[in-house]
Amino acid sequence: MRTAAALLLLVAIPLLPVRADEPQNHWAWKKPERPKVPAIEGQTLANPIDAFIRAKLTDAKLSPAPPATREQLIRRVTFDLHGLPSTPEEVDAFVTDKAPDAWSKVVDRLLASPRYGERWGRHWLDLARYADTNGYEFDEPRPDAWRYRDYVIKALNDDKPFNRFVIEQLAGDEAFPNEPDALIATGFNLLGPDMTDSADQPQRRFNTLTDMTDTAALAFLGLTVTCARCHDHKFEPISQKDYFRLQAFFTPANFRKDVPVATPADAKVRAAAAREYDELTTDLRKQIAAIEEPHRKKMYEAKLAKLTADAQAAHRAAPDQRTGGQLELVAETESKVRVTDAEIAKALTANEVAKTNELRAKLKTFDDKKPLASPVALGLSDKPGTPPKTFLLERGELTKKGEEVLAGFPAILLPGGKAAPATVQTLPGSTGRRLALANWIASSDNPLTARVIVNRLWQHHFGKGIVATASDFGLRGQKPTHPELLDWLASELVTGEWKLKRLHRMMLLSETYQQSTQVSKAATAFDPDNKLLSHANRLRLEGEAVRDALFVVGGRLNTKMGGPGVVLPEAARAAGGSRPVTVTTDTKEYARRSVYLFSRRNLKLAFLEAFDLPDSNLSCPKRERSTTATQALALLNADETMAAAKALAERLTREAKTEEERVVLAFRLTLGRAPSEKERERAKAFLTKSPLSELCRALFNVNEFIYLD
Amino acid sequence: MLSDPTWFERRAFLKSGFGAIALAAMLREQGLLADEKVVDPLAPKKPHFEASAKRVIFLFMSGGPSHMDTFDPKPELTRLHGEKLPESFGPVKTRRGVDKNKLLASKRTFKKYGKSGIEVSDWFPHIGANIDDVCLLRGCYGDSVTHPESVYLMNTGSILMGRPSLGAWVSYGLGTENRNMPAFVVLPDPGGWPKGGAPAWGNGYIPAAYQGTVVKGGAAPIEHLATPPGVSAEQQRRTLDFIGESNRTHGESRSGDSELSARIAAYELAYRMQAHAPEVVDLTKETAETKARYGIDRKETSEFGTRCLLARRMVERGVRFVQLYSGDTNGWDAHSDLEANHSKLCLQSDKPIAGLLTDLKRNGLLKDTLVVWGGEFGRTPMTEGTNGRDHNPHGFSMWLAGGGVKGGQTIGNTDAIGLRAAEGKTHVHDVHATILHLLGFNHLKLTFRHNGRNERLTDNAGEVIEKALT
Repeated sequence: MRTAAALLLLVAIPLLPVRADEPQNHWAWKKPERPKVPAIEGQTLANPIDAFIRAKLTDAKLSPAPPATREQLIRRVTFDLHGLPSTPEEVDAFVTDKAPDAWSKVVDRLLASPRYGERWGRHWLDLARYADTNGYEFDEPRPDAWRYRDYVIKALNDDKPFNRFVIEQLAGDEAFPNEPDALIATGFNLLGPDMTDSADQPQRRFNTLTDMTDTAALAFLGLTVTCARCHDHKFEPISQKDYFRLQAFFTPANFRKDVPVATPADAKVRAAAAREYDELTTDLRKQIAAIEEPHRKKMYEAKLAKLTADAQAAHRAAPDQRTGGQLELVAETESKVRVTDAEIAKALTANEVAKTNELRAKLKTFDDKKPLASPVALGLSDKPGTPPKTFLLERGELTKKGEEVLAGFPAILLPGGKAAPATVQTLPGSTGRRLALANWIASSDNPLTARVIVNRLWQHHFGKGIVATASDFGLRGQKPTHPELLDWLASELVTGEWKLKRLHRMMLLSETYQQSTQVSKAATAFDPDNKLLSHANRLRLEGEAVRDALFVVGGRLNTKMGGPGVVLPEAARAAGGSRPVTVTTDTKEYARRSVYLFSRRNLKLAFLEAFDLPDSNLSCPKRERSTTATQALALLNADETMAAAKALAERLTREAKTEEERVVLAFRLTLGRAPSEKERERAKAFLTKSPLSELCRALFNVNEFIYLD
Repeated sequence: MLSDPTWFERRAFLKSGFGAIALAAMLREQGLLADEKVVDPLAPKKPHFEASAKRVIFLFMSGGPSHMDTFDPKPELTRLHGEKLPESFGPVKTRRGVDKNKLLASKRTFKKYGKSGIEVSDWFPHIGANIDDVCLLRGCYGDSVTHPESVYLMNTGSILMGRPSLGAWVSYGLGTENRNMPAFVVLPDPGGWPKGGAPAWGNGYIPAAYQGTVVKGGAAPIEHLATPPGVSAEQQRRTLDFIGESNRTHGESRSGDSELSARIAAYELAYRMQAHAPEVVDLTKETAETKARYGIDRKETSEFGTRCLLARRMVERGVRFVQLYSGDTNGWDAHSDLEANHSKLCLQSDKPIAGLLTDLKRNGLLKDTLVVWGGEFGRTPMTEGTNGRDHNPHGFSMWLAGGGVKGGQTIGNTDAIGLRAAEGKTHVHDVHATILHLLGFNHLKLTFRHNGRNERLTDNAGEVIEKALT
């Protein structure tokens, strides 16, 4: 019966008349055309964004909310652009600034600060599934992943054109082979989890290929292609062939952890220094080795002999020849065969000790000439020679090779919706495939790229995207609430040389952004989800912003930028078979911004986790905003909160003389405003039985601390 | 009774005047329950159909216990002991390439237990005594020969890391009945976490509210639960009252924002959790007889027995999903000297697990509490070294008990030597589909939209094991 019904259905579908909402006619597949800015009777609006928003509000007979107060605005925009609270001085300066451009001055100041890249870089890192470890059993640190994080922060701070940002991440090695930043950028493709000791190394490579194909489509194109790996997409016009055509752009790539990223000048200096150090110390090092090595070898052999035959064989196998099982055995037993310097020292004769000490002392005199290790990064470069063929894999299984496919873009996005191989220009030393993909994505003719990124900016500024499903612009994604505005913004991005700061500015200077969060009765009744933006959505701080704010208000934030991730003691707690990581010793580093904290795949930091830190294994377009008791417990009781409360209390005691003044300053630092008379009284009553640090802890926990008006 | 606030709370609540009202009631009064998603991700929800199980205890044998030495007797393996794997079995993938090694007979003796007469090894006499409540799945199989991938598969339905775990799906689907405790609790082995770490009980792409919460014994069983050092209970209440009053003033001009109200309620729940969670892990009121039932009176069984008893106390108090890990990071991973490894772990877990089953039954909880036993895979009939066994995802045993499962039966079989699931095969996805079914879910319909796809625990597969149901 069921089969019969299914057959009927199959027969019936092709007979239906072609309708406007046929998959191929979906709005997002068509290149945006710059729409005319709507004119609204009786209103002159300087900012076209407001015209688009106001037009729909007028149609719905809704009026915009009044502007937010200046105190609200500066707090909102400072968290929005920097992820940090505004200082009382900044608030005062803005509140008292009578100049007509007072607001634009604030926006420009914030956009020019490096704190902007740290904040918005984090948004991009969510999409890039960034973490500092490999995941799975060993969760090994990726010692050079941070270079990608720093690249992103710098790119945003430099206002790097977005099209260039795209090209660098997909094909920096092909497009700009001599620019270290562009090489680092290709690390984007390798940021997903990686099971280094997989029992099936071809499958491991295929998993990584899949992950990079899926992530590139999601992050740059807002296209969900994942389903099409196993079968033609059920809901999107993406065939399985499309999927593997897309993957073919990546198949020639080597997945590297050792891409040299020193600038050519720097590399030259290092090489010279290395040569010099080598020449100066060869003799000394040979002499030390001549004494120590026989001992080391003997002790190693003795230790090795105690292992099982299988383990011995695994250790003796050349590292690149080891099977997955052997890798695991070696990893499990390597501590048993490791010969430490201390053990060597014990084994030496008195004579030998005296001799090596003398030699080492001499060697040490050359330490200042020791060159630093050459910087390397995660990244892609194509394998030399003929690129491997790409096959369609039935059910997405590596063992089920189907027909060969050539690199090509999804057919639905090509003229006439017809599949065609991409034109790929071979480059010296590289296939040029990824560059072909990158150029197509970064082209102003691509119907998705510009729309997708302006929508992401909109989502963070306004709390919800014009397309609510920010990484899904397909048929199953949400429809845009303001399609014309989306297209207008996309066209602005392209004509403005793909500069994001210009777009931020445009959005932030709109009256729409500056509206208050007050909801009118009419809006509650007719537009409860605020799709038409008759008022501002109340934004909420993410975990990183909460943690960073706790440091700022106590005057403790360490604003140092960049470099390897800071390993908090908590992150060193090995979970399962995870590899240990070395805790950062300089405790001043613990007060750095959360974006610089070392992030483990197998053990998230509890405080950030309580605030919806996304899983770093998959690209995350929008964070959850959950409200739970465990989250309340974290902000109430965590060490982070107590330390911040004490620091703030000390600051208040230092900077204000009377209790009254301390209460006022406490409110200004935590909530960006002075307390009302009622609040002042409440706080004073509280302080009769409670210490000042408790008032601070309470203020960190009130709704107003994490919700922005 | 147990959800009553303590006298101290009651006094504090009366004073502050809003604490004793339960979250749902409070929000309903304010007309805020319309948008449940915003208000309370863990509010109790109805499943798709009437369920036989309301809660789950998953006993996870970390490292992969040998089925041939526990629940799956293989006389043919004994006969072929010392011989190479017959060619008729074809090529086989293992972690450490033991496919060419000799077959290793089990040194255990098996005995028929209960009315059903199901054979169980002498390592599990106590579980054997409960066998008539157990539905033994002897034909299980998975997808990977490595630990983390298999741990993820068993917990999340995918060998790739970062998918929501079974416990997270269940919390997402059912919410919780006791807001004073997390919905999904994990009790790892104090010796170490399973290979693959916390993602084994992670939320993946579904909201973080559904992830597993690690619970330890003692005064601060949950992270951030204890009032900070130097802060008295009275001070904590005063501070909370200040927060609550400030929030209500703040909310007056912002009425209609359900998130703000939900956060006010979350703070009261946090306070209640602080008061209640230590009570849940406090075993002083359990009788000596009960403790003995779990083996808490014996050195070997005391630790795991304590966690089994905690599991009962939690499900009794409405925790939806409790997962216990037996075995530290290496756990049951007996690549060498399986006898020594397994005899220790079996001894540690046999009495406590049996104690848990009988205690649940005695309290009338077993009928709607599903108990699941299994590791990430089984072990090979071929030897590794001289006395160990390698990983075997191709065939292994698991069992289900309680919660509407038909006990006293075996389903499925491995081949003659225990290498592969051969008859009545049940993939991990099938086990998951069955667990969800017992909880009242059609596993095809318990979905979450992520990056354009309606994702589910069972990926593209999974069939309910009908024979397991009553």
